[in-house]
Amino acid sequence: MARVTGRPNIVLLSLMLAALLAWWGLPSVSVAPNRIVSGSAYLAPEVAGVGLAALACLPMVAVMGLAWRPSRTRLAMALALVVLMLTALPLWLSLAALRLIDPTSPGARMGIGPGPWVLLFVLLLALIELRTRLGLSRRLGWGLLAVPLGSLGVCLMRWLSPLALWQEYQGRREAFESALGEHLLLVGVAVGVSLVIGVLVALAMRRWPAAQRAGFGVLNFLQTIPSIALFGLLLAPLAWLSSEVAWLAALGVSGIGWAPALLALVGYSLLPMVRNTYVALEGVDPTVIDAARGMGMSHGQVFRQVRLPLALPVILEGIRITTVQAIGLTAVAALIGAGGLGTFIFQGLGQAAMDLVLLGALPILFMALGVDAVLGALGERLRPGGTP
Amino acid sequence: MIELIRVSKRFGAETAVDDISLRVEKGELCVLVGTSGCGKSTTLRMINRLIEHSDGEIHLDGQPVRTFREETLRRRIGYAIQSTGLFPHWTVARNIGLVPRLLEWPVTRIQARVEELMNLLGLPQEEFADKYPSQLSGGQAQRVGVARALAADPEILLMDEPFGALDPITRETLQEELRALQARLHKTIVFVTHDMDEALRLADRLVVMHQGRIVQQGRPIDLLRAPADAFVESLLGGEDRGLKEAALLPVSERMRPLRASQGHAQERIAQHASLREALSVMLWRHAERLIVIDEDDRPVGELSLRRLVRARDDE
Ligand SMILES: Nc1ncnc2c1ncn2[C@@H]1O[C@H](COP(=O)(O)OP(=O)(O)OP(=O)(O)O)[C@@H](O)[C@H]1O
Ligand SMILES: [Mg+2]
Repeated sequence: MARVTGRPNIVLLSLMLAALLAWWGLPSVSVAPNRIVSGSAYLAPEVAGVGLAALACLPMVAVMGLAWRPSRTRLAMALALVVLMLTALPLWLSLAALRLIDPTSPGARMGIGPGPWVLLFVLLLALIELRTRLGLSRRLGWGLLAVPLGSLGVCLMRWLSPLALWQEYQGRREAFESALGEHLLLVGVAVGVSLVIGVLVALAMRRWPAAQRAGFGVLNFLQTIPSIALFGLLLAPLAWLSSEVAWLAALGVSGIGWAPALLALVGYSLLPMVRNTYVALEGVDPTVIDAARGMGMSHGQVFRQVRLPLALPVILEGIRITTVQAIGLTAVAALIGAGGLGTFIFQGLGQAAMDLVLLGALPILFMALGVDAVLGALGERLRPGGTP
Repeated sequence: MIELIRVSKRFGAETAVDDISLRVEKGELCVLVGTSGCGKSTTLRMINRLIEHSDGEIHLDGQPVRTFREETLRRRIGYAIQSTGLFPHWTVARNIGLVPRLLEWPVTRIQARVEELMNLLGLPQEEFADKYPSQLSGGQAQRVGVARALAADPEILLMDEPFGALDPITRETLQEELRALQARLHKTIVFVTHDMDEALRLADRLVVMHQGRIVQQGRPIDLLRAPADAFVESLLGGEDRGLKEAALLPVSERMRPLRASQGHAQERIAQHASLREALSVMLWRHAERLIVIDEDDRPVGELSLRRLVRARDDE
C-alpha cells in the first residue's frame, strides 16, 4: 500500500502514450475480399470516423490524468478504465466488421491489424502494473481478465465471424482440436519421460561423482544440436529400426512422425531437468543435512523429509523451464510430421496466410504463458517457510 | 559417561585427531578449546559417529559406540551446532519435536514435551510454535536448536560452537541460561568453542587442543594457574590471565569478616560477585576497600585492594 505515492507514475504514462500512438498511427484492421488477395489496411478514424475514434481515446487520456498524481483511489479508477478498454477491444473489432465487411460477399474477411495487438499488449502491461501497485493478489488480476474474455467470446459468437483468424479456425475446427491434443500429448509425454529419466540421472550423478562430468558433457552436447538437425539425424536410425523390428513398426515408430519428435524432445528436455534436479539436491544447506543426520535420521529419512522437500522448488523450476521449452520445440516437430499446432504455422507460411500462422502460434504462446504462470506460482508456494 | 581411549582420525594422509584420551564424567560439562582446525569438531563428531574414528576406542557408559546402530546412537545424544541446522520448511514446534518423532513417541507426549521445552528456553508457545526458522532472530533460533537437542531428554549433549554466531550480549545471556539449565538437568555435555571467556565461564573441565592433540586438561582455575606450555598460556590470554582468573573466583573467597572500626568504606559488592567485578568497582570508584554484602543486602565482610591482589600473605 505504501508504494502508492504522489509522484507521477511514469510507467502508466508511457504505456498510455504508446497506446495513443498505436491507436492513431497503426492500422486497426485489414479487409480482403477473399483469402488469397492481400487486404487493404484501415486506421482507426477510417473505420468509424474521427469523432468516434477520438471518443475512444478518452479513457487513455483519463488514465494518464489519474497516473499524473496517483492515489489509491485514482489507481483503482485507472484499473477499472484499463479493464473497460480491454473489454471494448473486441467490440471495436465487431464494429469494424459490421461497417467494413459487405454481408453479401461470403468470402470477405477481416484481419486484425497491428494497432489492436499493440493495444492489447500495452493494456495488459498496464493491468500488471496497476495490480502490483495496488497490492492485489495475482489471482484477482487473472479474475479481472474474465470480463474482457467474456466480451471476446460474445463478439466471436455474434459479430466477428468475418475475422480471418476465426474463419481459419472455423474451417479447421476438427484439425485444430486434434492438433491441440497432439501438441499437449507430445509435451506432456516428453516432460513426463524426461522428468523420470532426469531424476534418475541426477540421483546417479550424486551417487557416482564420476558419472557427473560425463553425464553433463553428453547432455550439453545434445542441447547444442539444432532441433531440425536432430530431427534429421534421428530419421535414418529410426527408419531402420522400424523396418527391422516388427512390433516397433506396429506401434507406429518410423523415421518421421511422433517417434523421432518425442525422442528429440526428451533429449532436449533432459539437460534442464537433470541440471535443475542435480543443483537442487546438491544445493541444500549442508549444515541442515548435518543436523538431520546428527539427530539420528536415516539416509532415507534425510532424503525424503529434508533434502527432497527443500529441493522441490528448484526442481519445479526445472520442470517449468523444460515444459515451456518443449511447448515451443513441439511446434518445430510438425516439420517431420509429428502433428501438433506447428502444422498450422508451417501450412500458413507455405500459403502466405498469416492468420493461419496465428492460429498455430497464438495457442502455443498462451500455453507457454499459462504453464509459466501456474508452475511459477506453485514453486513460489512450495518455498520453505511457506509464503513470507 | 563418555570415554575416548587413544583415539585418532586420519583424513587421507592428514591426521586431524592424533591419539587423544579423554574422560567426561556423568553430569560434567567439558569444553574443548583450541585454534581453528585443531580437531575440536572432528573429536565431537566422532562421539556420535558423524565421523568414524580411525584408531582407538570411544565408549558410552562403558559400551563401544560402534556396537550401536548409528541412528539409535544419535537419537540418544543431543546435538546442537553453530548454524543451528534448523529445518527451514518446518515450524519451530515441529523442529523441536524431531527426535521424539523419530523415536515414535505418542503424539500427545510429543506435544507436551515440546511445550515443556519451549517454556524452559523462554520461547512462549503462542508466539513461536508456528513460526518458521527464517522468522527468528539468531538468539531465538539458537534457543530452538538447544531445545531440539534436549527434546528426547538425552543423557549426553554435544554442542559445536552453538553460540558462535551471536552478538556478545545474547551470547552471554545464553551462556547464563545454559549454566542454569545444566544445574537443573545434570547432562553430560561436550561443548566446543574457540572463545576462551566462554570456555572459562562454562567449563567444569577444560580441554585445550592443538594440532590434533590434547595439550592440557583440567579445571579452568588449575589451567590458569599452571599452564602446561607457552601455547596454553597464550591461548589463556597471556597477560590477561590475572583478570580471567579473578573472573572465576568469588568475592567471598578473599573477603574477611567486617570489623566495626573500619566502617568508612562506602562502596558495596555482592559476595557472589567475582573478584574481577570487585576490582572493576574499585577502579571505577577510586576505592581501596569494599563492603561485602549478602543476598539480603546485609554487610558480611570487607575486601581490601591489598587482599584482593595479594591473596595469601596479607596479615
Ligand atoms: N571431512 C573432512 N575431510 C578432510 N579433512 C577434514 C574433514 N573434516 C575436517 N578435516 C580436517 O581436519 C582438521 C580438523 O578439522 P576440525 O573441523 O575438527 O577443526 P576445528 O577444531 O573444529 O576447527 P574450527 O574451530 O575452525 O571449527 C582440519 O585440518 C580439517 O581440514
Ligand atoms: Mg569446528
